[in-house]
Amino acid sequence: MEAIIEFFQYFWEIRANVLVMAGRHAWMSLAGVFLGTLTAVPMGIFVSRKPKLSSYTIDIAGMLYTIPSLAVLGFFLPFLGLGWAPAIAALIIYSWLPVLRNTCTGITGVDASIIEAAKGMGATPFQMLVRVELPLAMPIIMAAIRTVTVLTVGITTMASLVGAGGMGELIFQGISMMDNGMILAGTIPVSLMALFFDQVLGLLERKLQNITGVA
Amino acid sequence: MTREVSVELQNVDKIYDTAKVVDGINLTIDKGEVFVLIGPSGCGKTTTLKLINQLIPHTSGTILVNGEDVTKLDAVGLRRSIGYVIQYIGLLPHLTIEENITFVLQLLKRPKKEQHERALELVETVGLPVEYLKRFPRELSGGQQQRVGVARALAGDPQILLMDEPFGAVDPLTREQLQNELLSLQEAIQKTIVFVTHDMQEAFKIGNRVGIMREGKLVALGSPMEIINSSDEFVRNFIGHGALFDALNSIPVKQVLSKDIPTAREGETLTDKTAKNGWENIFLLNDQGVCLGYVPVENLDSTRTISSRNMVPLPRGCSPDLSIKRAVEEMLYNGRAWIPVASEDNVFQGVVTFQSCANLQT
Repeated sequence: MEAIIEFFQYFWEIRANVLVMAGRHAWMSLAGVFLGTLTAVPMGIFVSRKPKLSSYTIDIAGMLYTIPSLAVLGFFLPFLGLGWAPAIAALIIYSWLPVLRNTCTGITGVDASIIEAAKGMGATPFQMLVRVELPLAMPIIMAAIRTVTVLTVGITTMASLVGAGGMGELIFQGISMMDNGMILAGTIPVSLMALFFDQVLGLLERKLQNITGVA
Repeated sequence: MTREVSVELQNVDKIYDTAKVVDGINLTIDKGEVFVLIGPSGCGKTTTLKLINQLIPHTSGTILVNGEDVTKLDAVGLRRSIGYVIQYIGLLPHLTIEENITFVLQLLKRPKKEQHERALELVETVGLPVEYLKRFPRELSGGQQQRVGVARALAGDPQILLMDEPFGAVDPLTREQLQNELLSLQEAIQKTIVFVTHDMQEAFKIGNRVGIMREGKLVALGSPMEIINSSDEFVRNFIGHGALFDALNSIPVKQVLSKDIPTAREGETLTDKTAKNGWENIFLLNDQGVCLGYVPVENLDSTRTISSRNMVPLPRGCSPDLSIKRAVEEMLYNGRAWIPVASEDNVFQGVVTFQSCANLQT
């Protein structure tokens, strides 16, 4: 009990610092997910047209995913230096696989009879994409974005190791000082942030489902 | 009557790698006719259909739609001008029924108001309640969904309708209902319909002409009766021994109607010894063309006046749309060799006789 009170007292003391770090953590995570999605969705659309290419691309993206996050961060250091740039670059790469894969499977998974009917009615390839394929693939793409967001909020912790700041600063400092309070003060806000983003995206997902009518 | 050609295939081939899926098809489909393509699975009937709207491009030959070579037309524009209905319906699950019906109009970027009016009109045409416009496809039964499929195909007011086994995925009862609805709809809209099926009975019922395909070739072509009478062994095997009975079940009596029969008005006299065409009865009509009864020639007195005094009441008749099978049943049941045929407003159309049914095959 005493330990808990002590922790809260400590947390209250450093609240201004935590807020700054959390803000930085949040925008780096979101920037990573946003830019990652922005690049992965078009890639997914592109490779969904080419079955052979899509399996290679998904394999490669899968390989990137197996590289430890610390290694990816380190890899970018020589090119991008220290700070937020290598961090966001790494986060983008981490968002690629799930979003790319789900975009691809979402689009290729649209019922062939729906595609045939739409094509037979004279939809251009662009109209097909915008009016048929993307709306129908949207729930699957959204599911990937949700997963990626939660993961990214966690991975962003590592960004402090390349001088990008964020909640990782508190956690890694806590680890080196063997200070559990400090570790918790870093970890709990990260978890809450992940939960919060997940809920917001879940809400958005349901809204999209209502619009697109696909359960 | 001048024949207006709607779709023409000249020596059309479709070759995939080495397989000739469509092999030298020559075919003209007239405006306003229902042309049915039928054949066993893999005979190339669906491929042939899809060549018309260029969902599948042909390898060689010429395809003309309304006299224009399809390869010279913009494929997207061509497809928008042709209605298309498929077996698995393919309604867009994320759009309401209204948005599904007006899909072609959306692609054509027509005004919203026009789209809505067209949706209201079409939902009624295919016999669905207006409230359904706000629903989603998954809330409708299979038969209702295919009605929407037909409405959607009609949205752009196409002259040509391609239907690829449209009623293949619904239960037999619904299928028959949809077939009847299509027939009465066709009377009103008079589109050129190219219809693919593997159901012989459906082909005979729907088609003005039927084409039978086998291994990419068109092996028989003609009216349902001509197909039944074909001497080709494959055709005979394909349509099966029950084909004639199947056909009787789907061919209406108006196709075997004897129209050239003796009729008379009250007070007319018969000058010849017998009634025309060897009939033993003369049918007495009133001024509205309603048949009151018939007068057997043997009942005539010396004045040979035809009047209601020596008239025999008419047996129960049938409508021109009744199937031949039902008409024959009626004759057998009543123990007579003919029954009168009258239109809905009771106007006498003629009679259908055992003999005229028997002559069907010749």
